[in-house]
Amino acid sequence: MDYQKLFQSEISGESVKAWKAQGKKAIGYICCHVPVEILHALDIMPIRMRATGITESPDGDTWMSTFSCSFARGILQRWLDGTYEFLDGIVTSDGCLMSARAFDNAEHISNKNKEGRFFYQVGAPRMYGDLEKEYYENELKDLIAKLEELTGNKLTDEKLKASIAKYNEVRSLIQQVNALRKEENPVISGEDALKLMLASSNFTVEEYIELLKAFLADAKNRAPITDKRARLMIIGSALDNPGYLQVIEEKGGLFVADDLCFGSKTFNYAMEVDDKDVLGSLADYYLKRIVCPRMMDNRVQLQKDIVEACKEYKVDGVVYQKMQYCECWGGESLYLEPDLKAIGVPMLQVEREEHLANAGQLAIRAEAFIEMIEK
Amino acid sequence: MAEFVKDTTLEDAVMRGELSVFDFCCQKVEGQIARMKERNPDLLWTLEIQDAMWHNYRDAHKRGKKLVFFGGPVPVDIIVAFDCIPVYLDTIPIRLSPNPVLTGKFIDSAERYVPATTCGLCKTYLGTALEDQYGVKPDAFVYSAVPCDSSRVVYPNMERIFNVPTFSFDFPFRRDDRGYDYLVNQTERFVTFMEEFTGTKLDWGKLKEAMTHSNRTYELQGKCADLRKHKPCPLPGRMLVLNGTSNAMACFPEMGDLLEKELEVGQMMIELGMGPCPNGEKHRVALLQNMLWSFSGAMDWMEKEYDAVTVMDAFGFQHGDLYEDLDDRYGCFKTMAKKIQNNPMIHGASGPSENFLYLTDQIFRDYEPDVSIFLGHIGCKHTWASAKMVTDMIQEKYGVPSLYLDVDGIDGRYKTKDEITGALAQYFDTVVNK
Ligand code: SF4
Ligand code: SF4
Repeated sequence: MDYQKLFQSEISGESVKAWKAQGKKAIGYICCHVPVEILHALDIMPIRMRATGITESPDGDTWMSTFSCSFARGILQRWLDGTYEFLDGIVTSDGCLMSARAFDNAEHISNKNKEGRFFYQVGAPRMYGDLEKEYYENELKDLIAKLEELTGNKLTDEKLKASIAKYNEVRSLIQQVNALRKEENPVISGEDALKLMLASSNFTVEEYIELLKAFLADAKNRAPITDKRARLMIIGSALDNPGYLQVIEEKGGLFVADDLCFGSKTFNYAMEVDDKDVLGSLADYYLKRIVCPRMMDNRVQLQKDIVEACKEYKVDGVVYQKMQYCECWGGESLYLEPDLKAIGVPMLQVEREEHLANAGQLAIRAEAFIEMIEK
Repeated sequence: MAEFVKDTTLEDAVMRGELSVFDFCCQKVEGQIARMKERNPDLLWTLEIQDAMWHNYRDAHKRGKKLVFFGGPVPVDIIVAFDCIPVYLDTIPIRLSPNPVLTGKFIDSAERYVPATTCGLCKTYLGTALEDQYGVKPDAFVYSAVPCDSSRVVYPNMERIFNVPTFSFDFPFRRDDRGYDYLVNQTERFVTFMEEFTGTKLDWGKLKEAMTHSNRTYELQGKCADLRKHKPCPLPGRMLVLNGTSNAMACFPEMGDLLEKELEVGQMMIELGMGPCPNGEKHRVALLQNMLWSFSGAMDWMEKEYDAVTVMDAFGFQHGDLYEDLDDRYGCFKTMAKKIQNNPMIHGASGPSENFLYLTDQIFRDYEPDVSIFLGHIGCKHTWASAKMVTDMIQEKYGVPSLYLDVDGIDGRYKTKDEITGALAQYFDTVVNK
């Protein structure tokens, strides 16, 4: 099987159109606390929304102002310019307020135009505990009821378990891809690894599994990358633009690890299922897994995970990229930087926008950083 | 002619790190009171609340009280019922903001660790912690997951800096029974935290006392707000500034005393048929976003130059939830939950934009402004991102166009006062009075 499709990271409507031709629904989702397993089990294709490839967002800017995160504006732009016309609606969880506003504006404009599309926001607690889990479970029950109404399908534990198994398989396959990156000379660049992970939103989960298997089967035939001077990890704001990594890798760095919500973060943990409480297992998983700093009680662990990953992947330096106007991912350095310093890993902090307008400047800073850390 | 030289001894001492922020605020207000006694003793009441608040903060430990710093909306009445002094972090940047050099010091300090685009309120109190310049150490820290991303980043960092017993609330965006239930349960958890922290049990009698004061405050605040519906509006725009922080002091009798005075003055002005505009009220202004703390004189300026009085702002607008049966524990905690969700800044800023739309609609319906200004605090990115929805609604439903003006409510370095008044003047001349 030709797995090259995994490296076409642009938003593609190919799979979803085929899916919809069967009379089924497709729903976009924003942020990481919408359990895709629920959508899948109800025969809905879940598509994580992104702005990849966008160069300008005039409508997004008008609605959200330029004082907003350009990734979130980009998503709104994609929604308004018809890139996502195949979607029957959007489900979001209350991640950061920028992504929430992309959702609010999309819903507002769609309702104004009487499009009749589906919009739903799930409340996800920002802490984990019994109360929080119960609250989130109730939110998920409401979501299920709404989606059942939308599709006419009924959710059962069996269907949900089958979907969880599929997504767990994806998680396990991505972990195998990441294991390849631990090698001294990995067979996949950071740019390609991100493309491969972004591709998860271009395919049905079944197609994606097959493509990942094909890639892994061929991994031993791929040429190891031997011409890089420093092993890097990338952390920070939502990054769905592999070109960003390309600029830095062209200067001699190689991203062997990441902490991105569009990258490894969402695949790092498998879901454990208690047969007697499937929805509870789902709630546990989504509230406990560490994906981003939206949670109030996971900062210390999030930072520890980064430090541990640096050791595990033998990282020489960390690139901490912060989207302009992204507070959610903006405040980790106070404690993370000294922790990284303690293990001898320097950190480069860079601001960016969704569209890679300042590639030249980034390249200069990346080159200086790589020169400083190369061994 | 002798040149007037402003005495900056206190400011300089803060800049050198020799004077704490709480000492600065106490000494400043003492100076203001001394001058007021001489020149305008009738207006002394306007300063008494500040005097009480800053001295309470600074001298708590001397009086054997525990200090509980808090960020975001939390049930302050409970803190007070445990005989602790609550310190609302927002009061610090708001108090320092008229002096851009002071806020600048702490903001610059914070920007070493958080993005420059973080809200100036958050940056200032984070910077004060980084510079270790509060002057006293908190005994406990309480914060909530609202209002915004800025606070969600800054509070957990401050938790680690303070390194004292900490409690954090998770607030849902839901304003319904599920949301209230969730908050009531968390409030119960908070009571347990306070009991462990203070080593005492919650004294319901003391809580009732705090809730009674709080009811008085919110009732009076509601009445003062109602006065503003009157034409001409009897009260000046600058008095709205207090609304945003009244939560911090609502359960103290001094707050009610102040509002009683404000109400008295407002009623008297109505009887006299007067308002703050020298030539009579020509325009009624609604500020759609944050208060411009760094330059609250902008409201005086609009009154003087354009006879335009600010009747309400979407930041400090209060919903006036009152406790009913003070012996009903669940009922009281549910009211606390509602008050928290309807708190200034939280009500419109956090959660879905429909809250902001609803709030603005209420302001336009009840206060009948004919001038709409989105004086957008740049830190408040999420309100900027709802601005078009809100201003479109105002235009469509009330026929009022809105001015968008980006400002920093705290960091006066962002735009000079002249730049702000210049933009306002242009709007009044070319749109409002065209
Ligand atoms: S990049 Fe940051 S601000 Fe933008 S949507 Fe993601 S978390 Fe939110
Ligand atoms: S003013 Fe806006 S940005 Fe600042 S703390 Fe309040 S809600 Fe957050």
